[in-house]
Amino acid sequence: MILEALEREGVEYIFGYPGGANLPIYQHLHEHPKLKHILVRHEQGAAHMADGYARACGKPGVVFATSGPGALNLVTGLCTAYMDSVPMIAITGQVVSTQVGRDAFQESDVIGATSSVTKHSYLVTKIDQLPRVIHEAFHIATTGRPGPVLIDICKDVQQADAERVTPQYIDLPGYKLNGHVNLDQARQAAHALAAAEQPVILAGHGVLLSHAERELMRLAEAAAAPVGTTLLGIGAFPVKHPLSLHMTGFMGTGWCLKAVQNADVLMMVGMRVDDRVTAKLSEFAPNVKTFIHVDIDESEMGKNVRPHIELVADARLALEAMLPHITKVDAGRAEWLAQIDKWREEHPLRYKQSNGQLQPQDVLIDMYRRTKSEAIVVADVGQNQIWAALWWNYDRPGLFINSGGSGTMGFALPAALGAKFGRPDVPVWCVAGEGGFVMTAQELSVAVEHQLDVKIVLLNNFSLGMVRQFQDDFYGGVRSQVDLTHMPDFVKLCEAYGLPALRVEKFEDIAPSFDAAERTKGPFLIDFRIDPEANVYPIVPLGKGLNEFREAPEYA
Amino acid sequence: MLEIKPKPTAAAAPTHDRIRILSLLVEDGQNTLTKVSGVIRRRGFHVRGISVGPSRQPGRSRITLQIDHGHAEADQVRKQLERLVEVVEVEDLTGDEVHNRELVVARVAASELDALLKRGAKILSTGSDGTAVEFSGDAEQVADFVNELARHGIVDVVRSGPVVMRRTE
Repeated sequence: MILEALEREGVEYIFGYPGGANLPIYQHLHEHPKLKHILVRHEQGAAHMADGYARACGKPGVVFATSGPGALNLVTGLCTAYMDSVPMIAITGQVVSTQVGRDAFQESDVIGATSSVTKHSYLVTKIDQLPRVIHEAFHIATTGRPGPVLIDICKDVQQADAERVTPQYIDLPGYKLNGHVNLDQARQAAHALAAAEQPVILAGHGVLLSHAERELMRLAEAAAAPVGTTLLGIGAFPVKHPLSLHMTGFMGTGWCLKAVQNADVLMMVGMRVDDRVTAKLSEFAPNVKTFIHVDIDESEMGKNVRPHIELVADARLALEAMLPHITKVDAGRAEWLAQIDKWREEHPLRYKQSNGQLQPQDVLIDMYRRTKSEAIVVADVGQNQIWAALWWNYDRPGLFINSGGSGTMGFALPAALGAKFGRPDVPVWCVAGEGGFVMTAQELSVAVEHQLDVKIVLLNNFSLGMVRQFQDDFYGGVRSQVDLTHMPDFVKLCEAYGLPALRVEKFEDIAPSFDAAERTKGPFLIDFRIDPEANVYPIVPLGKGLNEFREAPEYA
Repeated sequence: MLEIKPKPTAAAAPTHDRIRILSLLVEDGQNTLTKVSGVIRRRGFHVRGISVGPSRQPGRSRITLQIDHGHAEADQVRKQLERLVEVVEVEDLTGDEVHNRELVVARVAASELDALLKRGAKILSTGSDGTAVEFSGDAEQVADFVNELARHGIVDVVRSGPVVMRRTE
């Protein structure tokens, strides 16, 4: 019955792991050839795979796990999806309903443990609840602000016979969808943006989720307003567009931060305005007279920054509603854009090129040239993530996937595999540091088993680079527990798993190694031994305002 | 004997201006109360008073909350609770003209009941271990009543959370 319901919802892939409390489902899996089950090597891997799958192809990712440890291993993956508003359905087995509460073998309070990292959750103790619950779960996961929904199903319910019931309608009076635009507010917002002397638009993940990229570009061009994106909003606006400010936030570009700090009208679209975007909140965008906030989640209004004009609506509909009201823009606009161009020249992205060590940017720039903005890049968390965000000129939506809100190390490999399942037609590259990579490296087995054409770019600096950089700069220069010299030989590790790999230590070897990766069908890993002292710039010191960003030292 | 310290009334509390009074209509379910309290904890709010009872609609309950919104914007409490699928509606009654009632039931030594009865207390039962009385009023009246009880030798006392309804004039 569960599997039939999943078929009805159009599910293609399930990422899962069997165990005592979900065996009844697995018993019938073979009767449903339309459902392709991917056996992961750890449940966390399943959650990240489903997450990567959902972000790459837009359909909800589906996860199976058993009770107790199986379900609890999903928690990090659920949190990752929850923080980044990714649609996901997690179906966990629970002990027999009459055993619930008796501390049975592999029993745990999964609902209790996951409530704060799911959009909604269900405990199913009776078979007749099941069709409705599964249908509702998909509806909740995929509509409004998307998110993970967990369904905990008692083992006896999985075994029960029931007549097939197709639920006719969804009855969720407590589930509020804020799709519609208040036209009056849209007009006000448009007028404020057009009349601004120094406007800035910031675009977040919500722009991508509502497919509002075209509307955003039309609005930005009509209002001649520059656009920066958040880390998760990358791709919402082409980096090479003359109005692009690239990425904002405490590791954003200097010209974007200058623009934000000098803006008089700041419009924030589809974003949470979290601490990584604002840095020190009291010093965020101090010259703004009018904050405009567009988000589908009402609770984002004033959660961090109090907007003067709020639009609780789908980003695409909101931007569309604003567009006709942008007519005459402020006469000083050319001057403002010229000022931004000047900042762009004064604060370029730069890095050390001449110390003889392999620089991560060299690796990424070569990779970018080859992929011609066609490939999906799935980054892990840490320096590798920010380098991958800043040094690629993403010009289309959906090409950059990473764990932004939760910052989950170990995300990249399983998420990249999930992305490849979701978009087999698109090249998928995984960028990770060695620290995060080994946290979920067991999923290499899945890559090999399914011969997934995923190229893994390991930026290996034998340390927890971002932590090391923070310790150097903000914690008195005391390097504590960041040394990862005792790591496996990654080429041999890959050999053991059954995939080809190369080690690269010199600049000249970057291109040949990528050539080899591209020639090879199936998974391929390149272990780039990068400069262990390479840092992420620009960076705003912890606790400081955005205007205090530090730049890379100038190198000869 | 229990020593009862009067609960600070909303008016006396230093965080007075951070208190919101919310009335929630929720779907009955195993997880509803956990979800509501989970949001309150996770978002850094503090419960000052809570009461739960059935609503007029079958399958739905009414939760009345007196809540300190902490460092968040006042309206965040309502917005965060609205996000829960189990929560059908949230009404913010803060600052409105309302009936705000609490119930107190106490057992006191049987002798001096006059002062309590004068305040409007009702006798529920008398026995060898004392007299049970009930009293209802707004938070301040209830706090005063409990102070009065303290002078009469309380054997036991229980207080409900607030139930609040908007006055319709």
